[in-house]
Amino acid sequence: MTQETDSKNLKQEIIEKYQEFLLLEGKSPASVYAFCKDLEISEAEFYQHFSDFDQIAAHFWLSILEATQERLQSSPEWESFSAREKLLSFYYGFFESLKGHRSYALLILKSVNMASPRGAEELKELKSGYKDMVKELVAEGQQNNEIASRSKLNDIYDDLFWMQFLFLLDYWRKDRSAGFERSDEAIEKSVNLSFDLIEKNALDSAFDFGKFMFQNR
Amino acid sequence: MKEQDKIYSSRAQRTGKFLKTGAKVGANYLKHYSKKLVTGESNDAELQEANANDVYDALSNLKGSALKVAQMLSMDQGLLPQAYTQKFAQAQYSAPPLSYPLVVKTFQQYFSKNPLEIFEDFSRQSVAAASIGQVHRAKKGDLDLAVKVQYPGVANSISSDLKMVRPVVGAMFNISQAEINHYLAEVEGRLMEETDYHLELERGLRICKECAHIEGLKFPQYYPEYSAERVLTMDWMSGLHLDKFLETNPDQETRNRIGQVIWDFYDYQIHHLKEVHADPHPGNFLFEADGSVGVIDFGCIKVLPPKFYERYFQIMRPAIEQDKEEFLSLLYDLEFLLKSDSQEEVEHFQAVYADVLGLLGRPFFEEEFDFADKSYFEEIYGLADVYQNDKMIRKAKAGRGPKDAIYLNRTYFGLYNMLHLLKAKIKTRSAVDQLFLA
Repeated sequence: MTQETDSKNLKQEIIEKYQEFLLLEGKSPASVYAFCKDLEISEAEFYQHFSDFDQIAAHFWLSILEATQERLQSSPEWESFSAREKLLSFYYGFFESLKGHRSYALLILKSVNMASPRGAEELKELKSGYKDMVKELVAEGQQNNEIASRSKLNDIYDDLFWMQFLFLLDYWRKDRSAGFERSDEAIEKSVNLSFDLIEKNALDSAFDFGKFMFQNR
Repeated sequence: MKEQDKIYSSRAQRTGKFLKTGAKVGANYLKHYSKKLVTGESNDAELQEANANDVYDALSNLKGSALKVAQMLSMDQGLLPQAYTQKFAQAQYSAPPLSYPLVVKTFQQYFSKNPLEIFEDFSRQSVAAASIGQVHRAKKGDLDLAVKVQYPGVANSISSDLKMVRPVVGAMFNISQAEINHYLAEVEGRLMEETDYHLELERGLRICKECAHIEGLKFPQYYPEYSAERVLTMDWMSGLHLDKFLETNPDQETRNRIGQVIWDFYDYQIHHLKEVHADPHPGNFLFEADGSVGVIDFGCIKVLPPKFYERYFQIMRPAIEQDKEEFLSLLYDLEFLLKSDSQEEVEHFQAVYADVLGLLGRPFFEEEFDFADKSYFEEIYGLADVYQNDKMIRKAKAGRGPKDAIYLNRTYFGLYNMLHLLKAKIKTRSAVDQLFLA
């Protein structure tokens, strides 16, 4: 029991120490060795929790995602929200929490190439956590007919939303408006656009009609 | 209503929408002129109707300042052909709403609480649209409340929106660039004020207090504790909007009484307070069967500078044009005439303004005025044609008339228009008489 708490405390300590180092120095420590020496722990202890510095950054994003989800789900209104409202609430909550760690987030994002973040280790955990959430939302939306089921497209909905999330992250990174109001607008508009596109609309009827004409020539 | 069907997110997209409208209007003109060539006849009303439809479709997809400009233009009945104004009048009631999560976020930002933690009941959907925000209905204890929530980023987008509106509006409405600049600078100032809910709260409280003695007027109470920069909470007002109220067929006496209340309200603001609720479009009033009128939305207040006020009402005196010297000097003072004008221009504009002023001032000249009089309004609408077809006005390089007059004219146009819809007979003798006699 005590050992577990100790280990949890150590993990927290590593995270905080690394964050502080990055914020003050503007770059990662020279090596895990140097970092551990500073912290007066053994390298083995470090590797028990993280395999690299990237992992610490990755953990930061995931923790914000999870905290946001937890907070939203505890609200009494959450269950009655549509998929669109749930995603909007998530974005607003996520970026609100991020506000408190903006400097740190910007430093991490600095090393990420937003145009092709495919290999970004730092965002990997966030990506999988986010995608799990979106998959659930899409499934839910399809069940209550909010989102159109479009055979092949279904499989890439989560990828499309991930691109949207990256776009918003990048937008927020560059946003200089007071209170980040512009980011709020970007969230509102991009989510509405995406949901307008994936809900049942004229495209589906056009496709359906085309299929009918083709089959009954 | 579906929330935010289509939003044109970036400025580029919105500009694109406008340009498309410009192109469409251009196409309408093309159709019009080719028809004229082929058949040798033209139908101006048809053309304007087609233009109005396209313009409206474009504008109704925008919001914020662009919608506001549409509203403004729709109020300036004298400036616009009737076909436009009918279309624009529709824009006054609806704009696409904000999502509920964004409303929650706004509450979190200012009160660190969700709407439902502050109020016992809060409508998730907006119940009405305001030009730069939307209204939710809430309950707390015995209080029935209206909560106005402003769109984020409105203040930032105003000047860029207006810049983008400028060239296209100019082309669409056949107004010279100089005139538009003249107009938009003043509009921008008022719009910026409208985004400040603190200011609206303060002004609402003051005007309500000052005008409390006018019988038949009702004002909402404001609640500073539930208000912030982008949230404004006030009493929910009962009553019907003008169109719905007229459907109940109120009798002539009720109509006269209601019209008189509105007239007195404006008369008192203009001549005593010297600041006026400059947004008298029907959406800002609520009517009750007992003949009382509720006034909502104090976002747009025009303060009348004393010098301007005096000259403006001096020049409205009946038969002022007969006193040639004074008329001319007032025209120069008010910038209807410019020092750079040629003799020919001076004579021409003098005649035009004598007509216009005589027409607009007519309700003041008599003891009682019947706003049901259709012919009077046709004359006013006819002004648009005078302006549009007058080569000298269209060629003029500078905008004319004091910029302070834009909102006062708009107020009177709006007021006249509402009284006309009400078909009310009004005792128009007012404080302005003393000025006339002086």
